[in-house]
Amino acid sequence: MKRKQFIKNAALTAAGSMVVPYILPSGRLFAATGSRRANHVVFCLFAGGVRNLESVYKAEGNLMRNTLSGTESISPDIAPGITQLPLIASSPLQTQGTLYKEFRYANGPTGHYNGHTTAITGRYSDESIQLKQPPKYPTIFEYYRKHTSPTTSALNAWWISNQLGPYPYLNYSMYDGYGPAYGANMIQPTSIFNGSSISVLGDPLAISQAERNKCDMMRDFMNGQFKVPQQAASSGIVNTPQDAERLQVFLQNQIAQLSNIGDPWGNGAMTGDMINVYFGIEVLKEFKPELMVINMTDIDIAHFDYTKYANAIGVADYALYKLWQAINTIPGMAGDTVLIAVPEHGRNQISNSVIDTYGRYALDHTSDEMSRKIFCLMAGKGVKTGQVLTVDGQGNGIGQSVDVVPTIANILGIDNEIPFGMMEGRVLNEAFS
Amino acid sequence: MKMRYSALILLAFLWLTGCNKEKRYVYEVQPQELYQNAAQKQYLKTTDQFISIAYTHLFNASITNNELNKINVALLAVGDKATIQDMIVKNMIKDVQTISNNDMRADLPAFVDQTYLRFFNRKPNEFEAWKLKDLVEKNADITPKMVYYSMMTSNEYRYY
Repeated sequence: MKRKQFIKNAALTAAGSMVVPYILPSGRLFAATGSRRANHVVFCLFAGGVRNLESVYKAEGNLMRNTLSGTESISPDIAPGITQLPLIASSPLQTQGTLYKEFRYANGPTGHYNGHTTAITGRYSDESIQLKQPPKYPTIFEYYRKHTSPTTSALNAWWISNQLGPYPYLNYSMYDGYGPAYGANMIQPTSIFNGSSISVLGDPLAISQAERNKCDMMRDFMNGQFKVPQQAASSGIVNTPQDAERLQVFLQNQIAQLSNIGDPWGNGAMTGDMINVYFGIEVLKEFKPELMVINMTDIDIAHFDYTKYANAIGVADYALYKLWQAINTIPGMAGDTVLIAVPEHGRNQISNSVIDTYGRYALDHTSDEMSRKIFCLMAGKGVKTGQVLTVDGQGNGIGQSVDVVPTIANILGIDNEIPFGMMEGRVLNEAFS
Repeated sequence: MKMRYSALILLAFLWLTGCNKEKRYVYEVQPQELYQNAAQKQYLKTTDQFISIAYTHLFNASITNNELNKINVALLAVGDKATIQDMIVKNMIKDVQTISNNDMRADLPAFVDQTYLRFFNRKPNEFEAWKLKDLVEKNADITPKMVYYSMMTSNEYRYY
């Protein structure tokens, strides 16, 4: 071999040996280099449409005593309609983190699904949004799973939805290069954990491990003979066989325990929001996911009953703090989690004509200025404590709905991996110490 | 006259040898179109379709609306459809009456044929027939229910 050729080959080999170890299974050349602020994020959509007037500005007194500082008493005329849940926070969440009091849902219709989609994709939506389709743009779950290196299990990303309808579609998008392969596991607890599910799922055929292996062998053969059609509709998120088994055991155990659950929080009846958070906590305990989005929607009773709306805000506040308490007791999550709570949108300044038993008028949300005003609360690892942010030097509210996704991406160290221009918002850096 | 006669013969010839529509057999017991192969299945079953077809395949009866609704809600409530379908099938299959293990093994080729027809709405090809028969023969602990369960939780069963 000629000397020149030898040197060239040697140089190529050396370069290759340096580069090859960094070619990842995902096909990217380098591993994610962003450092993480925390290893877990729980994003709670304090949803249903909440006006800042009743939440952070306490127009009816402090309805959120576990979240907000202050002892303002409830307006006497609606006080009989407010359930007195125990104060469980030793200090309000606000003092444990950063509160944005003038956060904004700046663009797009103030619809629940629009608001949810914006919060989960980091992009404002418009009237063209489809209710029976996944979102157009990638969700935070897909960003997280695609750009985290090494690639993470789907059991590390969860969407806990309070309702069926369009909401289950929010666990992945239709965006090219993302989609179900990077989506989150999703459950809608009140539909899967109830009396009906005991009858249809609670008594399965018992299959031993040896029998399961034989069934897997037959199924693998059959699957090998069938080519899944490319053009068929997506069949959704897919877990690895091991993860699917873990998921099934979890679901089966929860169903088996349903008849013994009773009143787990000891406050009488559990509302829909409480049930959603309860099972969200069960997911946290079992899987310790790095990313969970969970919502509450009972507050939407505001369309028909103002006092029940005010009451639901208090219940959601209680459930949110239960979630925070759980996070802080789960090994692996305690001290290494950031909690973010944001309503999907607000409600109108002007009430509608529906009057409740306390003489109060109900509230819709039709994109007026008040329905764009929301709050954002962040607490946990690396978040400044006791900070309250309102407006900037120009009098504009600080922070927007679309900022949550980039902020989560930043916390999990993947924001620099996401292609430029995909997200509309910015990282809420001022919240971090 | 001769030309008219020739034209008639030509037409008859063309009619007999021209393109035929692909055959899809229809059996009379319960009107059901059979697939000629798995590749003809191009569409994902809806949740309603999956549940009602599974119920009919197992119990040879239609599922009640109430039961369909209960199972449908459970299916919609879990993102991993394969996992929840697996759970649903395991619950349904528990109560199904099957032939005995001995009866299955007494005429395995017939069992394989019938089971493919029952669940996949098609006949197995030669390789499939041989392979499944071979798997069951070599594993004495495989029961009819296990074969049903494997088929109903396979990818092919999710499509039509």
